[in-house]
Amino acid sequence: MLTEPVALMLLLSVAGVVLNIILYRLQSLQMIVSFLVFAAMLALNLQLYGTIGETLVLPVVVFGQAMSFAVSPLAFYFTLMITSITLLTVIFSLESLRGKACTQAYYLWLFLKTFGMLGVVFAADLLTFFLLWELMTWGTFFLMQQTGGESFSPAKKYVVYAVSSSMLLFLGIALIHAWTGSFSFREVAAAFPHMPEGMMLLVVLLMTVGFAVESAMFPLHAWLPESYASTFTSLTSYLSGISTRMGIYGLILLLFGFVGHELADRFQLIGVINLRYIVSIFGALTIIIPTFTALFQHDAKRLVTWHGIGQGGYMILGIFSANALGIAGGIFHIFNYMTYVTLILFSIAAVEYRTGTSNLNKLGGLIKRQPVAFLGLLFGIIGLAGIPPMNGFVSKWFIYKALITEGYPFLAISAIIGTLGTILSVYKLIHNIFLGQLQPEYNEIKEVPFLMQLPIWVLMLAVFATGVFPGPILSLIAEIQSSFGLAPVPYTMTGVDPAAGTLDMLVITTVFIGGLLLAWIVFLLGHKRRHVSQYQNYAAGHFLDESIPYNFNYNFYTGFEHIFNPMKKKVIARTEVAVSSLVEAAGDYLRRIYTGNLATYAMYIMAALVVTSLFLKELI
Amino acid sequence: MSTVLWIIFYPIIAFAIGVILLGYGRKFNARVQRRYGPPIQQVFYDILKLMSKRTNISHGWMHDTALVMLLGGTLLTLYFIPVPGFDFFSGYGDFLVVMYILLIPSLGMALGVGETANPNGSIGISRALQMLAGYDIPFALTFIGMAILAGTTNFSEIIALQQAEGIFGWGLMTNPFLGVAALIALHGMMGEKPFEVMVAPHEIATGPMTEMGGKYLGMMMIQHALNVVIELTIYINLFLGGAANWASYLVKLFVLMTLILSVNALFGRFRVDDAVRFMWKVPLVLAVIGVLIIIL
Repeated sequence: MLTEPVALMLLLSVAGVVLNIILYRLQSLQMIVSFLVFAAMLALNLQLYGTIGETLVLPVVVFGQAMSFAVSPLAFYFTLMITSITLLTVIFSLESLRGKACTQAYYLWLFLKTFGMLGVVFAADLLTFFLLWELMTWGTFFLMQQTGGESFSPAKKYVVYAVSSSMLLFLGIALIHAWTGSFSFREVAAAFPHMPEGMMLLVVLLMTVGFAVESAMFPLHAWLPESYASTFTSLTSYLSGISTRMGIYGLILLLFGFVGHELADRFQLIGVINLRYIVSIFGALTIIIPTFTALFQHDAKRLVTWHGIGQGGYMILGIFSANALGIAGGIFHIFNYMTYVTLILFSIAAVEYRTGTSNLNKLGGLIKRQPVAFLGLLFGIIGLAGIPPMNGFVSKWFIYKALITEGYPFLAISAIIGTLGTILSVYKLIHNIFLGQLQPEYNEIKEVPFLMQLPIWVLMLAVFATGVFPGPILSLIAEIQSSFGLAPVPYTMTGVDPAAGTLDMLVITTVFIGGLLLAWIVFLLGHKRRHVSQYQNYAAGHFLDESIPYNFNYNFYTGFEHIFNPMKKKVIARTEVAVSSLVEAAGDYLRRIYTGNLATYAMYIMAALVVTSLFLKELI
Repeated sequence: MSTVLWIIFYPIIAFAIGVILLGYGRKFNARVQRRYGPPIQQVFYDILKLMSKRTNISHGWMHDTALVMLLGGTLLTLYFIPVPGFDFFSGYGDFLVVMYILLIPSLGMALGVGETANPNGSIGISRALQMLAGYDIPFALTFIGMAILAGTTNFSEIIALQQAEGIFGWGLMTNPFLGVAALIALHGMMGEKPFEVMVAPHEIATGPMTEMGGKYLGMMMIQHALNVVIELTIYINLFLGGAANWASYLVKLFVLMTLILSVNALFGRFRVDDAVRFMWKVPLVLAVIGVLIIIL
């Protein structure tokens, strides 16, 4: 059976790679071709909806398994995000990277990465899944070092993490195959509940940790901020928007596709504490620690990438909540996060395009020069902070509500603590870039060209529209939940069913707009206003002009620094010493393996061969 | 029909109550300091004077929009908090919604103050946001505790549950730890001394209000009046059993306001990190104890 759009989409992304190799160094042709191919892929993706449930089997056989692809509701949801955000990134890059050096391979790696991600979400067997997962991580690695030079070393760090996580995944998949004798998702899912408990726990742990690395879950997040922030900002947005969330895709597949909540709850430790709860605790830590780290960053891109880690925690809390609302919220948050984080990073890229810097201590007052970028960032941060009426609020509301309903007060409060930390750091972001005093050297800059504004406008609309009308996306999510045999979320076009909770975004937005109109009338009641320059300002009787820096942006939250710095000294410094001495001691023991004696090495190789052959016999 | 009338007249009623509460506050402070104090309607005169000023200085469009967002967001919050006889909108947004629409006015003001390009204003906002993280964590936890206890996040249902059992059904009675924690957090939320770090006239020239004058300051005062009513009503609804009629509602408002004013009159000002530390120590620990009592 052949599903045309799937085959065509995979084929098109491979064609994109090939075309980009042929057109190497012909930058403008590369740009046009890439744009057209990605636009075609988005068009195909929209047709995909009618083919949900169909499968595609390629005549390629590896380990006795033909490569097979299927269109599930979850796959459709993810491909929709992948193709649309890739197209927006390409449109944005057309202008922002025009004429820049070392971008010959930019679109090539973008296509490779897209191919990997599409393959991963379409895959219908574990082997295809793993092969394309590997391809995808290599795509990420090459995208990370597009700017060359200094970006190589953080990218190397990512590869170390990614390869180790792949090994864990591989081991998990090998164990599953050894037990079930199949790679196909359907057969694995059927055989999974009959696995011996110890083996099941091992498989679940291996794969959870493997996916947790890709989704940058605490404490496996250290690779992310620097590697994402050191590449082009358009790629920072692309990578944080969708690439990190492939780990969450893996977790959803593992938890709902194979294990299921009932099984996950079987691994009881003490009382109510089970595996699901432990993962949720790590989810909560993933929210709090990176969000409060973001607060003290001095670089806009790095600040946002720290939030990329933190927001992943909400998805984990939602997905692992075992509640229809919570699961829907977790899955919905993936979409919402993608829209607002790309919006934020595109706006930062627009500023960087004109000023050449994303250093929060050097900017300020740009609202008067780049109002569109300001509006984009404003919509984005309202979404990120989860304030109505933007979409981030809706998915977070689902998660809070689910955690309260299920009786997890401390998980719920950590989600709220994360939101408060987010509000603090995003205000610093928008204040230090756009508000405050305009620096004299940026007096002459202009708004970015139209092609760069277009994705910002589109995303602003998306962030607002899916906030007021979450229904269409929630209907997709309800389908995903039904396809996994879960209770679908009781949604309406503008919120949730009154029987399940109290939320109607349309009413909230309407009342808000009414309130704004009334406030505007009150504003007009007063006498006319007069605009003054930023130098006509209260300065305790002193006179201000261009030569006087009269701005507050360095160390924006000094009070918190007073609170956290002693803690940092006590806790983090001591932990660092403890961990490093542990690693040193372990390394000292490991070092003894390398005796420098050839005979010993030969013995190692023999031993490894024996073990592998024993294991292979088991495997095949 | 009555709903339409409520929608039209409720902001005016709430504004009147807020102005009287603020005027009462001035009078109370004056009497504590052995002054005679201004007449109780002085706040209203001040707002009238500011709104009719001829000089209105603007630093740009966000500065103007901020005031609209400030007042508009406050009106939105006002509608979603039930008062006796009017809880039409609480069926469309629960307490979680209220907690986050409460942030819209603060965000609007923060953006506007940022555009005025005065470091005093920015420092004021930085302090206000740090205080927000200070008081909102214990406050949110007390709410989560109450929601788990009541089994709902809907305001009207929480009120109905409390009223069913008379005075002993009040949140403050059924769970005193949460009630006291929320009371301290409320004090921080209202920005009264010793948590008055945001305005701090002697340190940062009234902070966010530094560059505000004329109708801008007037609108901020209108918002302040509404905000006082909002914050006190939230506490009344969660912990003092809501109110069955307007008489008991007004009594509860004035009693709670008097309590907060008396603490305000006694204290000086905390430094911002001390204020946040206090919030993360005393009310947060009380709230954690309260929640543990509920879930265990």
